Amino acid sequence: MTSGIVFDIKEFSIHDGPGIRTTVFLKGCPMSCIWCHNPEGQSRKPQVIRGLAGERIAGIEYTAIELAALLNQQVYILRANEGGLTFSGGEPLLQADFVAEVIDLLDDVHVLLDTSGYGQEQDFRRLVNRSDLVFFDLKLIDSIVHRHYTGCDNDLILRNLHQLSEMGKPFVVRVPLVPGVTDTNQNLVGIVQLLRGLSGLLRVDLLPYNKAAGSKYQYAGMEFKPDYDESRELNLNTVLFEQAGIKVTVV
Amino acid sequence: MNERLTNLKNRVRAGEHCALRQGFSIEILTECETRQLSWPRRVACLVQRQCDAERVIIEPDERIVYTRTLPGVPPIYSPEEWAQLTAGCTLHEFGPVSNICADWNLLLSQGLLGRKQVALATRERLVDEPKAVEFLDSAVETIDAVLGLAARYADRAREKGQEEIANVLDHVPAHPPRTFHEALQSLRLCQAVVWLSGHYHVGLGRFDQYMWPFLCSDLQAGRLTVEMAEELLAEFFISLNKDSDLYPGVQQGDNGQTLTLGGVTPTGDSAVNELTHMVLRVSRDLAMIDPKINLRISAQTDLDLLGLATELTRIGLGFPQYSNDDVVIPALVSHGYALEDARDYAVAACWEFIIPGRGMEIVNIGAVSFPAAVDQAIWMGLNAQADFKGILGRVSENIDEQVHQLGEAYSQLLLPPAPYYSVFMDGCLEQGRDLSDGLKYNNFGIHGACAANAADALASVKQLLFEDCSISSADLLSALDANFVGYEPLRRQLADEGSKVGNNDALADTLLMELFDDLANACERYGRTPRGGILRPGTGSAMYYIWLATGHAGMREPVVGATADGRRCGEPFSANLSPSLGVYVRGPISTLQSFAKIDYQRICNGGPITMELSDSVFRNSESIRKTAMLVRTFAQLGCQQLQLNSLNLDTLLDAKAHPEKHKNLIVRVWGWSGYFCELAPEYQDQIIARHYFE
Repeated sequence: MTSGIVFDIKEFSIHDGPGIRTTVFLKGCPMSCIWCHNPEGQSRKPQVIRGLAGERIAGIEYTAIELAALLNQQVYILRANEGGLTFSGGEPLLQADFVAEVIDLLDDVHVLLDTSGYGQEQDFRRLVNRSDLVFFDLKLIDSIVHRHYTGCDNDLILRNLHQLSEMGKPFVVRVPLVPGVTDTNQNLVGIVQLLRGLSGLLRVDLLPYNKAAGSKYQYAGMEFKPDYDESRELNLNTVLFEQAGIKVTVV
Repeated sequence: MNERLTNLKNRVRAGEHCALRQGFSIEILTECETRQLSWPRRVACLVQRQCDAERVIIEPDERIVYTRTLPGVPPIYSPEEWAQLTAGCTLHEFGPVSNICADWNLLLSQGLLGRKQVALATRERLVDEPKAVEFLDSAVETIDAVLGLAARYADRAREKGQEEIANVLDHVPAHPPRTFHEALQSLRLCQAVVWLSGHYHVGLGRFDQYMWPFLCSDLQAGRLTVEMAEELLAEFFISLNKDSDLYPGVQQGDNGQTLTLGGVTPTGDSAVNELTHMVLRVSRDLAMIDPKINLRISAQTDLDLLGLATELTRIGLGFPQYSNDDVVIPALVSHGYALEDARDYAVAACWEFIIPGRGMEIVNIGAVSFPAAVDQAIWMGLNAQADFKGILGRVSENIDEQVHQLGEAYSQLLLPPAPYYSVFMDGCLEQGRDLSDGLKYNNFGIHGACAANAADALASVKQLLFEDCSISSADLLSALDANFVGYEPLRRQLADEGSKVGNNDALADTLLMELFDDLANACERYGRTPRGGILRPGTGSAMYYIWLATGHAGMREPVVGATADGRRCGEPFSANLSPSLGVYVRGPISTLQSFAKIDYQRICNGGPITMELSDSVFRNSESIRKTAMLVRTFAQLGCQQLQLNSLNLDTLLDAKAHPEKHKNLIVRVWGWSGYFCELAPEYQDQIIARHYFE
C-alpha cells in the first residue's frame, strides 16, 4: 500500500474545473517557480504554517485507502452536481503511484488532473489515462528563461504536452500571466505557435497575476523574492490566441 | 429601478421620514382609568387612539402610503397596576404577543368590513357570553379605528389632488382589493397598525401565495405590465423599511419582518409562481434589509430559481434563508399538525416554522445550553471517576433538567389580549375568542444552542482522555479551572486534535446527534404545557452564542467558563448549526453531511446551518450556478434549514482584527483561493480595499 502526503483538501473549489469539485493538493513539487502562490506545496515534508489564526500543519500523510475512503464519502454528491475531484498540488506527478492508486480506489467520478507537466513520461501517461480532463500549465517557451524562473528545464513539459495531445484526452492549457515574464508578446506568440492545431485542446485559460502571490511565504517560514516588477501592467493579449483560432478565457 | 423609486429609497435610507415624527407618544392612561376599562378594552382604546393621533403623511411621489409618525406605544396601566396584574406570571420578552403570523388572506379576501360583519354576527350569536362580547366589541373598535385612519388618508389625498391614492383608499382596507395595487396598500396599512399597537416581529407570511391572485388578474386583464407590477412591489418593500428603527429587537434590524416564498400548496402541488420570482428580483435590485426573505425549497427545486436566490446572497443580504419542505412538512405532521396546515407553514422572525393564522406559538421560550450541560457532566463525571458513558448519562440528565426549568418558567405565561391582531387569525372572530386565549396550535419552542462546541468538547474527552489516554482527567480539570493559563499545549491539543463537527467525522457527529436526541427526549418527557401544547426542540442559537459565553441580564440559561473543546472563557460559541469557531474544516460539503445526521423529524423547531462564503466566490454566472447546486445539495442531503452568507467588508475587517475567529474564511486572490488569515497584512488590506469598491 502506497502512502502520500497532502497539504490541503478543499471542497467547493469552484475555480478548479466543472461543477462542484473537491480539490486534493498533493505536497511536493520539482519546480520552484519564483511566483509560486502555494509555497507550502513545494517541499514534500510536512511543515508548520504560522498564520494570524495560529498554527496548523500543512502536510498530512494518508494511505491510498484512507484518502480514497475519505473522498468516496462525498463522491455521490460531486457526481450529482456535474463535478468531481481535482488532483492538484504541488505537483501530483511527483506522487504518481499514490495518486494512481487513489484514483483506482475511487467510486465512479469525474477526475481532473491539474499539472505542471513536469514529470516522468510514464507517470504522466498513467495519471492522464486515469483522468477525464487535464489542466496543463504552460509558463515559458524559451527554455533558458524557463530554467531561470522555475528552476528546471521545459523539455519534459513540452514532450508531455505533445504526448497528452496524442493520447486524445481533452485538456485546457493554463498560462499564469506574470508581468514582464510570461505575458510578453514573444512568449505568448511562442505558446500560440505551440498550441495551434493541437488536437484535444479545449481552450486556453489566462490567469492574471495578482500581487497576493507572495502572501503565504512568511507564514510558511519562506522568503518571497520576485526579480520582476509586480506592479507592472499585464499584457492581456487574447487577440493572439483568437487569431490562431484558439478559444481563450481570462480567469 | 427608475428615478422615482431611487428617490423614495434614498429618502428612506437617509431617514428623512423621521423628521415627520411627532415629538411625544400620546397619553391614554388617564382615559383608561377614568372609563375604568377592562384589559381588552384598554388595548382596543390604545389602537383607536393611536390611529386617531396619527398624522397623515402623503409624499408627492408616493403611490402606496402610510408613514408612522407616533414614536412609541403608550402604557395602558400604571406601573403599580401592571405589577399587580402580572404578579406571579411570566411575560414573554417585552410582554405583547409577538413573532406569530397573521393569515393576511383573511384581510384580502374579506376586507375589514367583511371581518366586521363576521364579528357582529358572532356577537349576535354569543350575546349572553360577556367575555366573547367584550372581545368582539374590542375587535370591532379596532377595525373602525383603522377604517377611520384610511378615510383620513383618502380625504387628504383628494385634497392634494392625488386622486389615485384617494380612490384606492376609498376601497381598501374596507373591502377586498380589486387590484394588486389595492392589495399592497391594504396590507401596508393593516400590518403597520399591528406594529402601532405594540406587537412586534410582525411577519408577512406566504406573500407570493395570498398576493398572487391579485397580480395574476391584473396581468391577465392587461391592467399591469410586469414592469409596472415590479415598481409597485418595490415601493411596498421600501415602505416596509421606513419605521424599522421604532421596532424593538435584540439588535437594530432584528425586527422579524419576514416573508416566505415558494413551497407547496395545501394540496401538495408546487406553489412557485411568477410573483415568487418577482419578489426575489425586486429584493435583489433594491438591496434593502426588509423584508427578510425565506425560500421554501425541496430536492426537486429547479436551479434557475435557486440561481436567482443566490444573486441575493451574492450581494451580501444574508437572505434568502432556505427551508427544506421534504423535511419540515413531515416533521410538523409528526408533531401533531394537520397535513394541509403543515404544507402552509411560514417562517417566523428568525427560523421557526409557524402556521399563519393558526398558531399562537411562543417559538423561542429559551435555549438549552449544550456547552453548560456537557461542561457540568465532565466536571461531575471525572470527579466521580465515571467512564465516558457515565458522562453522557449526566449530559442527558442535565439537558432534561434545563428543559424542565424552561418549561416551568412558562407554566404561568401571561399573554395580553390582542383584539386587533385577532381580526386576522383563523376562528377568533368566528368563535368570539381573543388569540391570546389560544389558537389551533399553541406549542412552545426550545432551542438547543451551541451544539458544535459541546459535541467537540465531548469528542475531545472521549478521544484524548478515554481512548488515547494522552490527557489525564486531573490535568484537564486543572486546565479548565485555570482558563488554560499555563496549559497552552493542552489547550492546543483539545482544540486541534481529534474529531470535530463539520468534517463528516463519525465520532464527533455521533455525539452531536446524541445531544439533539437528548433534547428531543427531554421535550417529549415534559409532555403538555398548561396551554395544551408541546415543547418543540430546535437547532437555533440566536443571541445565545454570545450570551451563553458571557452572560446576560435576566437570562435563565446557565453560563460556562473555559470548555473542553479548547475554547477560553468568554469566547463566543458558533452560531446555530456551524462548526465551532476556529475549527479547520474541509468545506461546505462535509459540513452539510455532518449536520444532515441530525434527526430533523424530531428536532422540528428550526435553526439553520449557517455557512459563509466570500463574495469573491460569486464572480460569474458559472459560480452562481454552482452555489445554486450547493443549495440543492443541502436539500438533497435531508438538511432542514440553511443560511448562506456572502462575506462583506465588515467581516473581512473583523477577520483582520480577530483572525482566530475566521480561520476558514476563503477569499479569491488570483486564479486561486486562499485562507484570508494566511495572507500577509498588506494582501489582506488589498482584498479589503477591493471590497470597498464593489
